[in-house]
Amino acid sequence: MRCLKRKLVSPYIDCELSVEEKDLFESHIHECRECAGELKELQKIHELFAGAETFKAPHGFSTRVLSNIREKETRRFEGFVHILARSVEGFAVLVLIFVGIILGSFLSKTLVSEKGNVVASLSLDIFAPAPPDSVGGVYLAMTGVKNEK
Amino acid sequence: MHKKDDFNLINRFKDGDASAFDEIISKYQDKLYNLCRHMLGNAHDAEDAAQDVFLKAYQNLNKFKPDSSLYTWLYRIAINTCIDYRRKPFFESLFKTSKEGDVFAVDQLSDSPSPERLYESKLISNAIQLALGRLSEKLRTVIVLKEIEGLSYEEMAEVLDVSIGTVKSRISRAREELKKLLKKFREQK
Repeated sequence: MRCLKRKLVSPYIDCELSVEEKDLFESHIHECRECAGELKELQKIHELFAGAETFKAPHGFSTRVLSNIREKETRRFEGFVHILARSVEGFAVLVLIFVGIILGSFLSKTLVSEKGNVVASLSLDIFAPAPPDSVGGVYLAMTGVKNEK
Repeated sequence: MHKKDDFNLINRFKDGDASAFDEIISKYQDKLYNLCRHMLGNAHDAEDAAQDVFLKAYQNLNKFKPDSSLYTWLYRIAINTCIDYRRKPFFESLFKTSKEGDVFAVDQLSDSPSPERLYESKLISNAIQLALGRLSEKLRTVIVLKEIEGLSYEEMAEVLDVSIGTVKSRISRAREELKKLLKKFREQK
């Protein structure tokens, strides 16, 4: 069965144990071969990493970052302007449609009389009176519409 | 890393001082590049990822809340960016220009080592890089933050947005995995 104190090996290596825990663990490893062995193995790994290379940012890195940021910001601004222009275009079209509707309804109101009959240019008054013996005249006489100009 | 200095830089940036961000880059570029380099394993992706980290930081610095420190915030962005890079579609990896050979560039070592020291360092780095590459994302992340960047458990918990208990258990699991992997490498030699 595994020793329950084995889980303390990593925090011990990383100096993450309290003073009390550290003292207890140090006295434990003198008695427990399993934990002592584990400590030795994990310390080797820890030391291996201590010898790892430290990589520095390549030459000109910050300049590239800044030009990259500037480029992205410009592109973002251009994108914003493009979207704004498209929105203005769309808005203008909507306004035109709206104005068209308003004008249309205004004009149709002026063309229709209060009683709902078509007046002015759309009225039958613009036509010359139908001769009484024509088909139109007979029809008008039958329906009772006055045939006057 | 001086929290007060960082807050001054952030405040200057928020006030429209563009040079403050230049200072942030100068201050953190080596640390973040080193982190990306160990997370991704090659110089090409590491530079791209580190550039992305600063770009994201630039775009979001105005939203930065002072309840966390700047470097843990930057580390968090870097970790997430590296995870995204490793998840890049397969076809993208076919067009990579870097080779494993240029991974450990001589001119980028931290000091001026002797040839023996350099050889030893290369061997160690190769072993580390191979082992890190075989770990899962979560385990690789905690090992890089602990062993390479030297963060405390508390700082790691803040960067990864997990509890200290989770950090402890991931570190232990990562070291167990590394132990097995390095043993396997030794046996293969």
